[in-house]
Amino acid sequence: MATQSAPSLVTKLPLRLRNFFSRYPPQIYSAATRPAPEQPSAPVDASSLPSPYTPNRDAKGKKPLDPTAPSPSRDLLYSSSNHPNPFLPRKNFRNGKWIGPRIGLRTQADLVKLAVKYNVEALLPAGRKSTEYKETRRAERGLQIKGTGIGQKVKGHKWERTMEARLDERRKAMMEMPEMIRLWKQRGHGRGWKQWPKR
Amino acid sequence: MAKKAKSRTVAVRLISMALTGYFRTMIRPRTHRPLSMLKYDPVVKKRVLFLEATKGGRAK
Repeated sequence: MATQSAPSLVTKLPLRLRNFFSRYPPQIYSAATRPAPEQPSAPVDASSLPSPYTPNRDAKGKKPLDPTAPSPSRDLLYSSSNHPNPFLPRKNFRNGKWIGPRIGLRTQADLVKLAVKYNVEALLPAGRKSTEYKETRRAERGLQIKGTGIGQKVKGHKWERTMEARLDERRKAMMEMPEMIRLWKQRGHGRGWKQWPKR
Repeated sequence: MAKKAKSRTVAVRLISMALTGYFRTMIRPRTHRPLSMLKYDPVVKKRVLFLEATKGGRAK
């Protein structure tokens, strides 16, 4: 890492980041130390994405998405047992209680913003505020706005969905109109006409 | 009871052949042949052929 090889750069970092890195050294805690997952989750596939706007999403008895299910974004949140990630909560398996993250989400966000500004985000531990996590999660879930996720589209009104076909039909009918009028005049202005439209 | 007498005239619908869904309603004698005429269709903004729509799809 350029910042590690050039100590002068480290001294240019703001005190807050320097304090953080001295307390949580990047060679132990940074997201880059995360090992590859044993069973890598399947990459985000557009067709298998759970659309947040499926019609039965709010149906009675519909189970919410399992938050503990493996997903690419969950793989990013890594914490080693020897050096617990200060950005993530962990469970005490003796008494089953959860211990909150050492550094709260609000402080995490501050640190990430500061690190992005000084181009050292890769040295921070993995967390929910990292750019990588947010991008992965967005790819999984979409913007949570109808139609903005991968493979999603807005249903729209019926007149919008059928407009193209109708205009095409109209255009075709107008192309044949002079010939139709010629034929109509030839057949005595409707006297010999056979193809009357259905109502 | 005797059936009610049919009226002498019928209201018919003339449909634009530009397939815009625009139509005009006219009254013609029941015994007259189906109506057809060139009229203005405001959707395509042109004079197009209007043909009488047959009820139930059967030509008179």
